[in-house]
Amino acid sequence: MRQRPMTTSLRFLAALLLTALFLFPIYWLFAISFKTPEEIFSSPPTWYPAQIQFDNFFVLFKDGDAVTVGNSLFVATVSTLLAMFFGTICAYSLARFKTGGSNLAVWIISQRMIPPIAIVFPLFLLYVFLGWVDTYHGLILLYTAFNLPYVIWMMRGYIEDVPVELEESALIDGCSRWQVLIKVVFPMVRNGLFATAVFTFVFAWNDFIFALVMTRTDVTTYPVQVTHYFGAQSNFWAKIAAMSVLGTVPIFIAVAFLQRYLVRGISLGAVKG
Amino acid sequence: MRLVEANTVLRGLCAGLVLTALGTVSLPAFAESGAQRAVEAAKQYAGEEITIVWEAGLQSLDPLNYSGPKWEELTGVKVKVIEVPTAEMFTKILQEHRAGTGAYDALNVVPTWMPDLVRAGALEPLDAYVDKYGYREELQSIAPTYRDNQMTVDGKIYGFPDDGDLFILYYRKDLFEDPENQKEFKAKFGYDLAPPSTWEQYAEIGDFITSKYAPKVYGAGQFRQPAYGQLLFQERFRVEGGKFFDPATMKATINNEIGVKVFDGMRADNAFMPPGVETWGFVEALSSFLAGEIAMTISWPPFGRWAAGYGVEEEALSWVPKSTIADKVGYALPPGGTPQLALGFSLGVASNSKNKEAAYLFIQWLNSEETSLARVQLPYALRDPFREAHFTDAEYLSRWPDAKDYLATLRAGADSGLLDLSLLQTDKYEEVLRQATTRLWAGEDSQTILNDAAAQWDALTDRIGVDKQRQAYEDWASKPNAYPK
Amino acid sequence: MSAQARGGVGVGIAGDREFKYLIIAPAVFILLFIGLFPLIYSLVVSFQNINMLEEDTSFSGFIHYAALFRDTRLWESLLHTVIIFAIALPLELILGLMMAYLFLETLPGRPIFIALLVLPTMIAPVVAGATWRLLFDNRYGPINQALGWIAGEPMTILWVIRPEWVYPAIFIAEIWQWTPFMFLILLAGLSNVDKSQLEAAELDGASFWRSFRLIVLPAIWPVMAIALLIRGLDLFRIFDVVWALTKGGPGTMTETISIYTYIQGFRQFETSYTAAIAFLVIVLLSVVVIVALKRMEPGR
Repeated sequence: MRQRPMTTSLRFLAALLLTALFLFPIYWLFAISFKTPEEIFSSPPTWYPAQIQFDNFFVLFKDGDAVTVGNSLFVATVSTLLAMFFGTICAYSLARFKTGGSNLAVWIISQRMIPPIAIVFPLFLLYVFLGWVDTYHGLILLYTAFNLPYVIWMMRGYIEDVPVELEESALIDGCSRWQVLIKVVFPMVRNGLFATAVFTFVFAWNDFIFALVMTRTDVTTYPVQVTHYFGAQSNFWAKIAAMSVLGTVPIFIAVAFLQRYLVRGISLGAVKG
Repeated sequence: MRLVEANTVLRGLCAGLVLTALGTVSLPAFAESGAQRAVEAAKQYAGEEITIVWEAGLQSLDPLNYSGPKWEELTGVKVKVIEVPTAEMFTKILQEHRAGTGAYDALNVVPTWMPDLVRAGALEPLDAYVDKYGYREELQSIAPTYRDNQMTVDGKIYGFPDDGDLFILYYRKDLFEDPENQKEFKAKFGYDLAPPSTWEQYAEIGDFITSKYAPKVYGAGQFRQPAYGQLLFQERFRVEGGKFFDPATMKATINNEIGVKVFDGMRADNAFMPPGVETWGFVEALSSFLAGEIAMTISWPPFGRWAAGYGVEEEALSWVPKSTIADKVGYALPPGGTPQLALGFSLGVASNSKNKEAAYLFIQWLNSEETSLARVQLPYALRDPFREAHFTDAEYLSRWPDAKDYLATLRAGADSGLLDLSLLQTDKYEEVLRQATTRLWAGEDSQTILNDAAAQWDALTDRIGVDKQRQAYEDWASKPNAYPK
Repeated sequence: MSAQARGGVGVGIAGDREFKYLIIAPAVFILLFIGLFPLIYSLVVSFQNINMLEEDTSFSGFIHYAALFRDTRLWESLLHTVIIFAIALPLELILGLMMAYLFLETLPGRPIFIALLVLPTMIAPVVAGATWRLLFDNRYGPINQALGWIAGEPMTILWVIRPEWVYPAIFIAEIWQWTPFMFLILLAGLSNVDKSQLEAAELDGASFWRSFRLIVLPAIWPVMAIALLIRGLDLFRIFDVVWALTKGGPGTMTETISIYTYIQGFRQFETSYTAAIAFLVIVLLSVVVIVALKRMEPGR
């Protein structure tokens, strides 16, 4: 595996091309969001906006559609906090006390693998019965539950990586179990907590099917709103693009902070990266 | 405008007097018209918010930009517009009814859904409100086709017809009247070049223009997306003499030779339309026509207004490409002369709304003679004339040079037009046709597609109950506008 | 005391028992509520007869399960799901592996490239589908335009209309979004392969394929298996991308099992029948998932 300068520059070129190819759709989405309607509906299409203008975004704010991004933010944030707390303490029990053995752990992660559509249908009927359709708490509970397996699974791995001696000495020093958890364990795994939380947030943020079924008006999240612009009299490209951009930028910011944890996060902890 | 207002005032006064005299209702003093009565009564709900379901996109510009803000200004009641794509509206409304959150107050419903929504209990009967707020009289001035077919279910009022939808043929007068074209066409086909009265003529004219002008101008272009495709099929199938069912057995007969001919014809027509027409929706067809790329198109009434350049300087219409053919647009009924009264909208109230009274008052105001006259003339309106007065309004007639031809064509179509098929669970039957349309553009064999579609219709009929469905079908088929006379 | 400590924190301290159950209780309770309830409820409803017009809650036997077997559209949707699974998964794996090799050795700007390449994976799948709808558009999209340049004549490919193009369209969108996922995981896997072994093999004159098969593959297999499992399950429940691109059309050509279930339940209002489908899917997949995870567990 010697380094050959020639191949490095060729590889660099290939990497450049490949990256351009993968980024082009995202570029196109952003480009459309800045185009005027005339320009969007020009054929052949223009490859970059003639001028940057923000009208497509203003319309979303003016008509109140942008509220759906706020809904996404609220629902994703609260459900992330809940899932992180309940999930981490549960993971602690699984990691340190082997509660339920491996069966319980496997059952928990398996809950994440079931197709949402199969769960969401009976849950919809339940939510109708409870009057929880189109409510914040209904959707938050759903996302919390949906994310718990992930949090538990990930945090179990992070906790197992922490040497147990610190906790032992804290216990000997007279700390209660809760104090150990909060004062010793949480700080030790704070990187893991942070990384897991961001992924949890992204899952809730990007979800479509739960929100499609469980929301109507008040709680509509941004991915559902994007699909509202399809196929009425036409596809409202400007709105589709602008709304998608609004919903995508926060994710990109999250990714920028996440670099170090990406691999472990998306591989369900299988790769410690 | 002024003329009509005076008229309305008089009529409102009369109605008010009569009702007061009868002592059935006590009306607020000096509230003369349906619109004003609604405004007066709604002031008690100032500060509250009502939610109305509207078709996503262009349709929603009316409540978002005009009627919503205006209602708030007049009464203090806020209007929140929920935009839902047409193909999802029925499902969403019924889902919402099932979910029972009371999230929707007022509803835009396609009239063919009303029987199903009423049976499911999703729509509030409006008779009591109509009497309470003295609106019966104004309902009578809605054009008969819409009034008689799009307002009631089993004799009770569930929706106010609010949109005179139908398909109109728009054509390029300059190309049709060009002497050279006329001569060549006559020589080739033996009849005068004029708006087609049969689908065969439509194809011949389309072909003629395409072979002469393409790729600069194509003979025709139409929206082809499944939601529209199924409506186009319904119209053309009946124009060619097709019946949807055998009334004796209730077996679907859409797969007979007429159905196959229509499907084959629809696909063959694509050959003289611009490449890729299969993907077209409303806006694609519109922009192509306005850009002068197609000589004929069939669509809803707004095409005619925008093609004539009416109102397109509005900011809300900035997305509409500038019309290059403003003074060259001719209007005619589509081949057969019996246009599909495609979709249309009626305004209703959701039965589980938490604020039915306020929702009702809003729709009465929207639908009233005064407000509707303004709404159908909004430059960006997708609401089309549906009251007698709309077709004859002096101001409307003077909106652009050919507006009188336009309104006359609409008026004629409103009389001869064909109702959308309405049965029990209509949406499921339509869904079958929508899927069939996608398969048609995918290139499958027409007979195979229609056999499958007919089998699916039969399966639906069996599940719903043959006798129950026959009853519903016979009710529908007995209406004068179900099949061409 | 020290003996207890040796055995782990969990042993022998009073209150442990309560504490360890106390802290798993909320999570398990929520998961039972969201996980187990649907299973039971689907089972109950699937033996009743509830649809858009009727609300018959008496026991109606196995009619819906019997109907499952006669429902060709259901089995076709399962077939479509399997097709998407069987084609997209290997392609994503191979392309991901190739990309991982490209970035395995040092390269100027490597971290930046990787950060950018992973972006598609983080976008909401429904937004990804919507984006590709825009790209594939016949008139206003850039793809046909670019293809036209290559072909030297205008191209009119109706990506989401024509049967020969809908699946390619879905695959392109799907592979675009998820190849970076494979890439990232496989890159991490490859980076951990013992370099000295590879160099030794190279000195022995082993071909690339031979050393890949004998050294690299066994080394990255655990990681690769997990990536395949995660993606495989995601592909089995694919909904968002297809929904945004084709809604299952033309006809029912691209209807997946998730889309079919959604249509039956929320468009056609066949409540009991959908419950039967949901029950079937949950049971089938639970078995697969638990077996797969059991195998993965010891390797953690």
